[in-house]
Amino acid sequence: MPVLPLVPGTSGGHALSVAPTRNFRRVLRHPWWGVVPFFLFLILFLLIPAISVFLNALRTTDGWSLSAMGEGMSGQNFEAFRFSVTFSAGAAVVGAFFGIVLAYAVATSRRPRWLRSVATSFSGVAANMGGLPLAFAFLSLLGRQGVLTKILDYFGWRIYDGDFTLGGVNGLIIVYSYFNIPLMLLVTLPAIDGLRPTWREACSNLGGTAWTYWRRIGIPVLAPSILGGFLLLFANSLSAYATARVLTDNSKIVPLRIGFFLGGDVRIGEDAVGYSLAAWMIIIMGLAMTVYWLARRRAERWQS
Amino acid sequence: MTRSNHSSVNPSLSSLARVIPTLVLILSFMFFVAPLLTLSRYALQNVPTILLGWSTLFDKWSLSGLTKAFSDPGFWDALTITLRLALGAVAVTLVLLVPTAIWVHLRLPRARAFIEFLTVLPFMIPAIALVAGIVVVKPHVRWFLNSDLSLIPFYAVLALPFTYRSLDSGLRAIPLHTLVEASRSLGGGWLTTIVKVLVPNLRSAIISATFLTAAVVIGEFTIANTLLKETLPRFQATYTGREPQGGYGLNLLIIVVTILIFVALNWLTRRPSLPRRPFHHSSATAEANQETST
Repeated sequence: MPVLPLVPGTSGGHALSVAPTRNFRRVLRHPWWGVVPFFLFLILFLLIPAISVFLNALRTTDGWSLSAMGEGMSGQNFEAFRFSVTFSAGAAVVGAFFGIVLAYAVATSRRPRWLRSVATSFSGVAANMGGLPLAFAFLSLLGRQGVLTKILDYFGWRIYDGDFTLGGVNGLIIVYSYFNIPLMLLVTLPAIDGLRPTWREACSNLGGTAWTYWRRIGIPVLAPSILGGFLLLFANSLSAYATARVLTDNSKIVPLRIGFFLGGDVRIGEDAVGYSLAAWMIIIMGLAMTVYWLARRRAERWQS
Repeated sequence: MTRSNHSSVNPSLSSLARVIPTLVLILSFMFFVAPLLTLSRYALQNVPTILLGWSTLFDKWSLSGLTKAFSDPGFWDALTITLRLALGAVAVTLVLLVPTAIWVHLRLPRARAFIEFLTVLPFMIPAIALVAGIVVVKPHVRWFLNSDLSLIPFYAVLALPFTYRSLDSGLRAIPLHTLVEASRSLGGGWLTTIVKVLVPNLRSAIISATFLTAAVVIGEFTIANTLLKETLPRFQATYTGREPQGGYGLNLLIIVVTILIFVALNWLTRRPSLPRRPFHHSSATAEANQETST
């Protein structure tokens, strides 16, 4: 962030008598002033809350300490993080795989001309349709009283006889796929479009098979997009709150755990430990999104 | 051409290669439509699932489930709050972001990547962590946070990654410097330039930003639920618990509204469509398209 010398005259102004006003003018005309309202807005409504989470996680009754951060990653809290990270990674793998397959199917199909625009438009809607309506829609499909549950029951497959619930790992992966698959499609479709037919021709002219093409050219070019998409899906699944909240009360899901702590329903230890969960969440999300950012930069090399 | 080149190797493989994408498309279609259909059944048919069978399949269908929620007094209060929040968040977004994005493109082009990085920060600080921070600062700013409308700036922050991105790509697509210089040299002030020259040229970017913000506000549950603000999503959650059929009807309505928002968005921002560039295309057309798209 740029630090501007705000007070005129303090920066060596005493030496020259004309300089202060000229310096002052130059400071006033500096282009950074134009983004000050935006910076203030971000600081007030995003950075101050985020920083206070960290401050509260690091402050105990007797001064500063990392003990709450340590406790936030041990015992039951660690179990919660392990559960959340595992099922989010699972949801990201499933969403990424089917998203790529679907994107490839959409990119290569030419028959109904409207297919592509319908698919991308619908993906735009579905990728943003997390939250409550989605959870209720899946309850009506696969809940204990769901229509598909009833149909499968009729054919002798009682899905609720095992330990399946919509709030469990498998259930959440299915539900989250509803927004993860379209998101992956939106991320990878431009990359698949960026695969140039000339590359395939060059490959076969040089004696390569379809397999050689994919192993040596296709997959390496798509890899940054796939990695980026995977991380986006992971972050998306890890931070989802509303959908999970409807489907389960499971406090192993970190966002729900933080919510219960904030609502005073669950005591996690000292207050600081509760905030350390949120702090860890920001750290994990920050890492995932930073790598996503780098991967996207790299992916854009072949698109445009 | 390329197609025949590799498909002639093995005819059965090529028919398989044609069947699989179709199969994938059909299965995906079913996956994405099934939950919406069953949600509609719950909303429109008043028959418990236990009694559902061939004999009752066509019984008791009616549209009354959709409007049941309207007779609940809480609904109108919640709707009013959410509409106010949406209007407020859109206003904050447009008043703050349009000038900022224009300024960054005109005067701070070197800082573009940095500003873009700042706008994706809300992805790194998810709603649940943001609301934890709000709970921390709450004792100091009770006068502000006690109002329901205090959610407006936070919702604008949540929408920021989407809204800034659409404005940014809108600005990349127009000859910004030329427009501004023309307007300024004809004697237009900054306000005139923005309102009369730039805003009309950024029409679709501004429409996108508006609709995306509205969609975020209509769906936001995390912050409202934690701060106990009775917005529409929170009403949805409690009402569906109390009154399942009416609740499912309300959820269906909200899905329909969300879909309509995006359809309207697509329709309003549609451009004369460039020739698309699918993967299997002869290289000549692909090359030509590349030139038009750069």
